[in-house]
Amino acid sequence: MIRTEELLLNVGPQHPSTHGVFRLVVKLDGEVITEATPVIGYLHRGTEKLAESLNYTQIVPYTDRMDYLSAMTNNYVLCHAVETMMGIEVPERAQFLRLIVMELQRVASHLVWWGTYLLDLGALSPFLFAFKEREMIIDLFNELCGARLTYNYMRVGGVKWDAPPGWIDKVRDFIPYMEKQLKEYDRLVSGNEIFLARVKGVGQYDAETAIAYGLSGANLRCTGVKWDLRKDEPYCIYDRFEFDVPVGTNGDCYDRYLVRMEEMRQSLRILKQAVEQFPSSGETMGKVPRAIRPPAGETYVRIESPRGEIGCHIVSKGKAEPYRLKFRRPSFNNLQILPKLLVGETITNLIAILGGVDIVLGEVDC
Amino acid sequence: MKGLIQGLGVTLKAMTTKKVTYAYPDVPLKMPDRFRGVQHFDPDKCIVCNQCARICPTECITLVGKPNPDPEKKGKVIDTYDINFELCILCDLCTEVCPTEAIVMTNNFELAVYSRDELFKDREWLENNNTNVRQDNNNIGAPQKGGAK
Amino acid sequence: MTRWVEQPLSWENVLIYAVLAVVFLLLILGYVTYAILFERKVIGWMQFRHGPNRLGPWGLFQTVADVLKLLIKEDTIPRKADKALFILAPALCYAPSFTVLAIIPYTRELYFADLNVAVVYYAALSAISTIAIVLGGWASNNKYSLLGGMRSGAQMISYEVPLILSIVGTVMMTGSMSLRQIVEAQGDWFWEWNFLPQIIGFGVFIVAAVSELNRSPFDLPEAESELVAGYHTEYSGFRFAFFMLAEYVYMFAIAGLASVLFLGGWHPPAPFLGFIPGIVWMLLKMAFVIFFLFWLRATMPRVRIDHLMGFAWKVLVPLAILNVFVTAVCLELFIKG
Repeated sequence: MIRTEELLLNVGPQHPSTHGVFRLVVKLDGEVITEATPVIGYLHRGTEKLAESLNYTQIVPYTDRMDYLSAMTNNYVLCHAVETMMGIEVPERAQFLRLIVMELQRVASHLVWWGTYLLDLGALSPFLFAFKEREMIIDLFNELCGARLTYNYMRVGGVKWDAPPGWIDKVRDFIPYMEKQLKEYDRLVSGNEIFLARVKGVGQYDAETAIAYGLSGANLRCTGVKWDLRKDEPYCIYDRFEFDVPVGTNGDCYDRYLVRMEEMRQSLRILKQAVEQFPSSGETMGKVPRAIRPPAGETYVRIESPRGEIGCHIVSKGKAEPYRLKFRRPSFNNLQILPKLLVGETITNLIAILGGVDIVLGEVDC
Repeated sequence: MKGLIQGLGVTLKAMTTKKVTYAYPDVPLKMPDRFRGVQHFDPDKCIVCNQCARICPTECITLVGKPNPDPEKKGKVIDTYDINFELCILCDLCTEVCPTEAIVMTNNFELAVYSRDELFKDREWLENNNTNVRQDNNNIGAPQKGGAK
Repeated sequence: MTRWVEQPLSWENVLIYAVLAVVFLLLILGYVTYAILFERKVIGWMQFRHGPNRLGPWGLFQTVADVLKLLIKEDTIPRKADKALFILAPALCYAPSFTVLAIIPYTRELYFADLNVAVVYYAALSAISTIAIVLGGWASNNKYSLLGGMRSGAQMISYEVPLILSIVGTVMMTGSMSLRQIVEAQGDWFWEWNFLPQIIGFGVFIVAAVSELNRSPFDLPEAESELVAGYHTEYSGFRFAFFMLAEYVYMFAIAGLASVLFLGGWHPPAPFLGFIPGIVWMLLKMAFVIFFLFWLRATMPRVRIDHLMGFAWKVLVPLAILNVFVTAVCLELFIKG
């Protein structure tokens, strides 16, 4: 009598291809996945609880560490929430600096995604190509705010450091260089037939599923839904710049790839305009009271981080510390589609799909 | 086929370009001035206002002051000042709020030690850590300036 | 060499052959050491970095350190594993790779054996390594090793068919399976070498060879470890080194075979360069083939298992058969007729 058994396979938490400490418990029937359950919480550090005893300036370093690949957007969402509650106006130069660093951060984050996605698929070189360019962006940030990954750059009311002399020119020189490198990346990878065969048609879902699961960022735009918070609910000074929002058509991994590559190009376009329009003088910090005490009430703001929609919900009771601080993290919501998407797929496609969703565990666990 | 050949061309071209790796640790890494490295403490400037210990997000600074030994001068001088580098995240908030720039960052980043006890740095060690001190301190949070906390 | 090989067998000849074999083995081990270093260096250069350069000047002692590390590791055998087969598998994988090197002619005079069925000899012996891999996967008593071993066995068997079929064209053109004769039949100018008339065969041979070697982009058995463990998971220390040694010696064998069958062996690309000895040309061609394998590894992502099998049976085998037909037709019409 032949008996078939379902194999229970643990992908992670220590695994070279899950981006962080992430565990996926997979039930296999031969080669085909019948059930997949993500298990998270290995990187939970209690940021939201800690925030209940810290004042807002002290929380900013903690936000850096949530989505450590796009720390600037995390800093911004917190500062923006507090500024909205208190009605503080941020000066022009600070807004420009914030926008420039956020777009540079978007390019850096997508570079890491590109390099690691291709490393999962087996190509060794794109990883180092991406990190070569990312090193230049990190060096720019190092000169600006003194750190390479956890910047602690934005404060409520503005930014901490003004651009050092010559920094804007360095950003200006970086943009055409990066555009050239993006063309090299296309030559290296985007036309590669092996890569296309592995990515096309894999992990497909439609727009209704995407909206129902609350996906955001490139995961939503690959299905054809044109929703980008920088255009639809403009914040900072994004409404002054011209850029396109790339959308895909099929909702498979290839479209996610194309959308993110195009997002990098559009970020460079915004940077070019921002550097041109950069005000030659101005304050970097607005009029902020010495003790930051938002009035009692609550607010929720959301911005477009490289991974999707990041939101910050603050409930304040008028004190210097928040009563409750909650972050709506894009990776946490994006990964909810995995159990549905992986059923019926083979193991070999699991890695391609997981890489395409682009999660960062620091953000998932918070 | 065409994509494969193009990819091969890119890697071949990369083989002949200049290498971008650093020769660290044989060649020391030069960090820009604003780099947030290990702190340097100057006890003569400290007025024991406790702002650094209050702002620290991880509560890694502990300090004790004593009345000024000189009977004519008012105020306190610093007696002990410890930073626990198991907790310090080098976030720079302590230098941001110090009104006298007694605590400043340097550009030294090498903190690796063989035992956890050595990570608890005291006043003397921080005073002697005076190479590569950062020039631009930007203490916008200092109480006199009236800036953001 | 020819003198020694063509003498009748006697006790002193056996001694000479044994000594020559040991010398060659040492040379091969030296080659493997520096091939591993060069692979890491070349892949590093293609990625804007230097590759290993800390151990010894220019990193020359890197592989020595790696092998030393493997040698001093603890020799673990899983409890329920089939002990005899577990120990046998790596050795069984390595032995054919070394025996296959006997048939490759390096120059007109420098060769170990001139079999008139050399091509079949190569095919037969390299298949034994396939058995060894499946054996290693089975003997580990680990369901993932078994899965990986089966998969790599399937890959290697599937790609042997186009590998051998692609060589049939050159055999037909030469009229003999002896590798020495195949080299002799190729002309002196580089356009007379076999890779141009047999361009389809050459392409199929290169692709099938990369897959036989389990190298990128077909390195599923090695990279299986990213998801389901490969056949060599339970092997550590020197047993693992044996599997890797077998891979590098097969690289040498394939490079030798490619140079001999398609790239003209010891012939210089043009007759006026004939003052440079043939061994230099042979080694240069082999080095070029090995460099090409490193280059592929640095560039290509991995092929998925279903694409792999589909590609072998639906693309390579028909192409190779087509090559045989076209060669036969051309030979009949243009050369004999």
